[in-house]
Amino acid sequence: MSRSSKKGPFVDPKLFFKVQKQAETGRSEPIKTWARGCTIVPEFVSVVFMVHDGRKHVKVAVTEDMVGHKLGEFAPTRTFKGHSGKGKK
Amino acid sequence: MPRLMGVDIPNDKQIQYSLTYLYGIGLHSAREVCEKLEIDPARAASDIHEDELGRIAALLERDYTVEGPLRRQLAQNVGRLRDIRSYRGMRHRNGLPVRGQRTKTNARTRKGPRKTVAGKKGVKDLR
Repeated sequence: MSRSSKKGPFVDPKLFFKVQKQAETGRSEPIKTWARGCTIVPEFVSVVFMVHDGRKHVKVAVTEDMVGHKLGEFAPTRTFKGHSGKGKK
Repeated sequence: MPRLMGVDIPNDKQIQYSLTYLYGIGLHSAREVCEKLEIDPARAASDIHEDELGRIAALLERDYTVEGPLRRQLAQNVGRLRDIRSYRGMRHRNGLPVRGQRTKTNARTRKGPRKTVAGKKGVKDLR
């Protein structure tokens, strides 16, 4: 058993609490978060997050396929619009 | 020449090596297959009997993912990453290295042949 599997996935406790609260009350509005390192667990499915990308919050609607990934994977931190040169102004 | 799993025709080499001509079978799994079926891995592929070939095919079919299904599986895995718009998926889409390698230099396998840009700073300036 590797060390990481012993420790289990990292889930931000505060964020998890917020998700649970939302599930209880049935209200769903995007949850703002800075916890990019938080693993997406099955409870997060169909919750909408606003994940910080360093500048603003990016909307991430969690689907079933995303389970096991980290929130940060869906909020790119870099903007690359391409190199200058021909075909560009 | 013997045929296995459809189109693949390994040749006059030892069976352990000719099995590696199958996509998804390397030397390790080729030897594994031989061991499981008690076939001497050093025997030439040409004198592997028809029924032994059948047993190899059956074993590959049952316990291994090779050729078409393997390719499909890989494409699906990448497709999933793309569809969920994950960082790794974007890297696949853009044809850039996926696992955090540097791209300032190198990364030619993913990026393909160099596209020289006129007037770009030379190596000396880069430093």
